[in-house]
Amino acid sequence: MLELKNINAGYDFLQVLWDVSFRVDEGELVALIGPNGAGKSTTLRTIAGLIKLKSGEILFNEKVINDKPTHLISQMGISYVSEKLNLFTGMSVRENLILGAYAIRDKEVQLETLAYIFELFPRLEERKDQLAGTMSGGERKMLAIARGMMSKPQLMLVDEPSLGLQPNLTQDVFSALIQLRERGVTVLLVEQNVNATLSFSDRAYVLEQGKIVMEGPSKEIKANKHVRNAYLGI
Amino acid sequence: MNSGKVAQEQSNSWNKFVEFINKLGFNPLGLALLIIIAVLPTTTPYFQQEYIVRWMIMGAFLAAQSIAFDFTSGYINIVNFGFAALLGVGAYASGIFANTTPFIAVAPGLNPWITIWLGAIVAGLVGFALGILTLRLRGIFAAVMAWFLGIALMGLVNNWTALTRGPLGMNPRKFLETTNNLPYFYIIFTMMIGIYITLKLVTRSHYGLAFKAIGQNLDAARASGINPIRYLVFNFTLSAFFAGFLGGFYAHYFGSLTPSTLMHTSKTVEILAIAYIGGRGSLWGGIAVAFPFVFLIELLRTNFSDLPGLHLVIYGVLMIVIMIYYPGGLAGFYDWIKSKVQRK
Amino acid sequence: MAKNSSARPLMSRIKDNLPIVVISIFSLILFVAIYIEGGNAQIFNTIITGGMWALLAVGLALVFGVMNIPHFAHGESFMIGAYVAYFTFTPMQEYLYTNPNKFLSAIAPLGAILTAGVAGAILGIIIEQLIFAPLRRRTKKDWIMNAFLLTVGISFVLSNGANLVLGPNFRGISRYWDVKAVEIGGAYMSVDRLIAFAISMVTIGALWFFLRRTRVGRAIRAVSQDETGAQLVGINLNFIQTLTFSLATAMASISGASLLFLFQAYPTVGGTPLYYAWYVVMMAGLGNVVGAIIGGFIVALLQTATQLFVAVSWTTVLPTVVMILVLLIAPSGIFGSEVKGVQEQ
Repeated sequence: MLELKNINAGYDFLQVLWDVSFRVDEGELVALIGPNGAGKSTTLRTIAGLIKLKSGEILFNEKVINDKPTHLISQMGISYVSEKLNLFTGMSVRENLILGAYAIRDKEVQLETLAYIFELFPRLEERKDQLAGTMSGGERKMLAIARGMMSKPQLMLVDEPSLGLQPNLTQDVFSALIQLRERGVTVLLVEQNVNATLSFSDRAYVLEQGKIVMEGPSKEIKANKHVRNAYLGI
Repeated sequence: MNSGKVAQEQSNSWNKFVEFINKLGFNPLGLALLIIIAVLPTTTPYFQQEYIVRWMIMGAFLAAQSIAFDFTSGYINIVNFGFAALLGVGAYASGIFANTTPFIAVAPGLNPWITIWLGAIVAGLVGFALGILTLRLRGIFAAVMAWFLGIALMGLVNNWTALTRGPLGMNPRKFLETTNNLPYFYIIFTMMIGIYITLKLVTRSHYGLAFKAIGQNLDAARASGINPIRYLVFNFTLSAFFAGFLGGFYAHYFGSLTPSTLMHTSKTVEILAIAYIGGRGSLWGGIAVAFPFVFLIELLRTNFSDLPGLHLVIYGVLMIVIMIYYPGGLAGFYDWIKSKVQRK
Repeated sequence: MAKNSSARPLMSRIKDNLPIVVISIFSLILFVAIYIEGGNAQIFNTIITGGMWALLAVGLALVFGVMNIPHFAHGESFMIGAYVAYFTFTPMQEYLYTNPNKFLSAIAPLGAILTAGVAGAILGIIIEQLIFAPLRRRTKKDWIMNAFLLTVGISFVLSNGANLVLGPNFRGISRYWDVKAVEIGGAYMSVDRLIAFAISMVTIGALWFFLRRTRVGRAIRAVSQDETGAQLVGINLNFIQTLTFSLATAMASISGASLLFLFQAYPTVGGTPLYYAWYVVMMAGLGNVVGAIIGGFIVALLQTATQLFVAVSWTTVLPTVVMILVLLIAPSGIFGSEVKGVQEQ
């Protein structure tokens, strides 16, 4: 479904990604792990079209997308939940969600999706008239993921959903992601919490200093000695 | 052997000379061009004509203003939109202090050579106040505040008719009895060089670094121990002082002041355009642009007199194009060429 | 003890909103003073003037809020609107002079104002695509200051361009609607003024509805709150920005057109409206659309009071002093500015 071919990318004079290649197949939940500054977020931002490529190719459903602007990539069915969340803080929860379905012009479909989201995240329904900026950290993450789902994406890129959350809230966020996969959404996840991520993801890639150094089924990665030493502290 | 030694000594003293003028903010090319400008009106028949000398005076006047303007906008990154009004304050203050006529309520009758300094001090005080007022404001707020203050000052001059005769305008006496323009050219030329050297020395000191730090990021500057209050206020005061100083020249050269021809926002915009086309944060860019510009504009004005304001439109378009595509201006272009040459 | 606990929140609430409280009291005093001195006529005058400033200021606030452009050429949009209305209305007027038709005479001014609005919208698109889009593509560094200087350049080109093409002559009309003034509460108001006020209110209302209730309007607000977030949900930034600029320009043009009977069209007619619009926006808070509407009326109060109690020629001096005081208490305006970018400079 998503394929990165020899990606080189970065900011101005600073190259972050070096010859990165990987693929995500339909229905998978793929984890991208690695130390801070390895370029995980940069990878997602590049897929979302927020960073221009220096060279390489990104294919989505066999179509080249790396020459497209962010809003078109979003409209093609890739939804990016950034680590900064980028919520519309001055708007209500409901308005944030409706905007998530901006590309869907059919009002009925919008409302159906909204009902489905509220079913999935009942807490958001309780707070639908609250301003996004006044919600707690965990609720904001929920809202950001929910907003990302409103466009009925085929692929979701989720960046550090557990960052800054209490453990019990982290659990909520993870179970939301697992539900996503069960409903047939493909997920590419970047996470600091390597242990948990590797226990529920299908496959994983390890990114170090801008290069993919390891790939395989999550179980194998979790058993790998280097990963255990570097990320799991065992 | 002997001649080689002489050559070495010569190149040694040449290096010392270059070093010396560098300290004052010149390079040999710039200094040579300035000397040419300085001697043109006495040597070449074309430049000896009175109207050409007047253009040269205008060029030096605009250049000097753009230096003082760039000192604020190019360094601390605040566009002083009330610049023309500050200049007007200096002009009026100097004119009033020098007044001997009964048309104005007071007639101290001081010598214009003294009042020009008094005018500069008055403008400097207003600049000081402006600096204090804009302390808590950032970027665009400060620019708009300066704009409002400029409009208010113009309104004040318009209304305080006892001192200024308002829109009727006042006629300050001239520096000199002569109707010859040449002495005035050397007055303004000296003022321009003086302002340039002074401000260049200030920006070369640790003040210049502090200005740039404040201009780029006020909070970071504060965090690294720079007290923005001192530097901001100092910058505004000095820039306003020189604006007022130049205003004094205007008063005693043209001998006629009205609020709208002197203090209007469009006058600030003209200076802004010259300073930006010259290159922000260079100080010298304005000099390089002002002289050719005055000639271009005056030639346009005389040859296309049926198209009033054509020169201003060209001004504006040029400024827009430079802002979008070449924000470094002329000074940026010069640096680029220099780096190319040095790399070779 | 109980008394103390109930009193404290009120005091602290007042303290938190000190600028709003002070300016409300101040406005109320001005309102009463104007009523006593000038009666209904001056009050209506103030309200009508306030509507005009509000319409202009809303455009400024929108452009700053969505695009982070401190728009200095807003007055020139006003000027273009005035010219377009003049050049469309006067031929119609001449035609109607020889072929009287009551219905057409009632509708012709509206046609002229609408034409001005359309012309403004087109001008907005051209300026945005020709000037701001290239700058955006090149760099976002120092955006606010660069954009500001660009608008200064645009203003310079447009006003001098108008002078070049049309000359410095004043072009005005005495009135749009040739009907008697209407009496309201003992004061006579010309129909032109009333309709100009109605137009400004309807335009602001329509904008309000558009921003709150429509898909694209919501997208405009989204861009003003989080540009990246807006792109991520599939909003075309370029389209929204061009649309916003076009809307703001159209609003200023409509305002210039509907006030042609008051401000004759000439190259620098935009100066005064620009000053007041900026005044409102600075006082209310940059980019704050609601604040701009309320601010429009406060500034009109201030203006009328100065004219009434001091002298017309002081209208640029006294309000500036008030503004300086306001900004000293509240550096980001009375109603505050939550716009991205303002604090980042």
